[in-house]
Amino acid sequence: MKRFALLAAIVAVAPLVVRYPALETQILIFGLLAVAFNLLLGEMGFLSFGQATFNGIGAYAAARALLDLHAPFVLALPVGIAAGALAATIVGALAITGRGVYGVMLTFAFNEMAYYAALQWRSVTGGDNGLRDLPAPSLFGLALDDATRYYYVVAAIVLIAFAAVLRITDSPFGAVLRAIRENEGRARAIGYAVRRFKITAFAVSGALSGLAGALYAELFRFVPVQAIDLDTSTNVVVATLLGGAGSPYGALLGAAVFTVLSNSLSHVWSHWPLLLGVVFCAVVLFFRGGLWGIGSLWSRRASHA
Amino acid sequence: MLRTHSLTRRFGAHVAVDGVDLAVEAGSVHAIIGPNGAGKTTLFNLLSGELAPSAGTIEFRGADVTRLDVAARSHRGLGRSFQRTNVFPRLSAFENVRLAAQSRTRESYAAWKPAAGVAAERAWAALDEMGLGAQATRPANELAGGDQRLLELAITLATDPVLLLLDEPSQGLSPEDARRLIDRIGSLRERYTIVLIEHNMPLVMNLATEITVMNFGRVLAHGAPAEIRADPAVRAAYLGTRA
Repeated sequence: MKRFALLAAIVAVAPLVVRYPALETQILIFGLLAVAFNLLLGEMGFLSFGQATFNGIGAYAAARALLDLHAPFVLALPVGIAAGALAATIVGALAITGRGVYGVMLTFAFNEMAYYAALQWRSVTGGDNGLRDLPAPSLFGLALDDATRYYYVVAAIVLIAFAAVLRITDSPFGAVLRAIRENEGRARAIGYAVRRFKITAFAVSGALSGLAGALYAELFRFVPVQAIDLDTSTNVVVATLLGGAGSPYGALLGAAVFTVLSNSLSHVWSHWPLLLGVVFCAVVLFFRGGLWGIGSLWSRRASHA
Repeated sequence: MLRTHSLTRRFGAHVAVDGVDLAVEAGSVHAIIGPNGAGKTTLFNLLSGELAPSAGTIEFRGADVTRLDVAARSHRGLGRSFQRTNVFPRLSAFENVRLAAQSRTRESYAAWKPAAGVAAERAWAALDEMGLGAQATRPANELAGGDQRLLELAITLATDPVLLLLDEPSQGLSPEDARRLIDRIGSLRERYTIVLIEHNMPLVMNLATEITVMNFGRVLAHGAPAEIRADPAVRAAYLGTRA
């Protein structure tokens, strides 16, 4: 609870201290995607290499609702959530039939398919031009055309979603996911219908990813095809492992570090992913808990001293 | 309580379990013995649902369970413990057992309440029954070997089974730990029907009310411990080489 209060405080003052509300909004949205991804990896032990599938489908669905149905912003979000959940349920149900690395490859393959479908299906997705000029978001008559205002709306939504993930992690359902991660066969032997739990976890992860997609669509009022491409999926994996898959906080931290680095370094040095690669290897090889793991190790030492 | 009819499992040309008819009476301790490779663990995998039979049927508590999967059979009251310790390694001993007990509640899809209190009483009872109360907060993979075997049993007990399938519970234990385990299993006899695979002959002769001897996937002999001890075919195939 203390940690969550601290997080909420940081999120609340961030745009007052550093005046880049659009970048900070991006951090929160990418953070939500990483947290959604980590529900599968950190809790259930399934590496989803196609998380952008659900993000992209959520973004397109929300954008279509805004454009075609003239849906208000508050209704575009549940459309994104539902689309992400549905896509993840289908991908999850098929991907978990593959064991180990084959399951990973299936999420990867579905992401490739979704990406090429998005490129081809121009009437819906705008192809490689993306979907432009979405209506500006507004909330019950209040226009969110100002970046800081939109930041605070996104912040509230992401914090609520994050709190929900913390609760799920702590719940009986979350406990079953950890049982599956630790020993799937034994989870089955004590009576858990493992397949159903896995698909449910995919649906929840997809719903959160779809929400991230919908929020992203309204950030620049634009859905680029990158929202559904493999680079985004890879970035989610890298950011989460960098931050630490052991905790939802780690995923969020990793997303923040990753977004800041990629935005600041890419202006200075176009080969910045090289540096990121080195940092990433160091973290994965020597600090399995990621940045969050290092941080909590320190704080434990400090409290022992 | 548990019956099989011509239960058979082939792996390619090899017949691991070959037309086994087994009848386990309620309240009995039924030991299955036989040399390595006799098909005992394969038989267990068929009974628990880990493997599908090539032919034959399994009847449990009056219903045909041949086509039910592992989880469904567990819910019918079939509790299995494994030959190699099979726990949730990085979770605490308590959480290992609590998860097993949670599977008997209707709350495993509850996502909005803390898990810590769900089925906690049942979990503590199973831990205490195996004498592991003091180890509750330690991760399972940090427990001593003997304690891990006891945890293995505690997990199975926490699912409230009717019948226990115990696959070599004393495997890899020191004589002292094995004795501790025998005591614990002995105390379970009153409440559970037990089917037991075991190489430890004193343990078998001590606990079992019935013995089935397997060799080459078939039932070689079946009877009370005294009969089995006296059976010349059994002595030749198995006991003679060991005892």
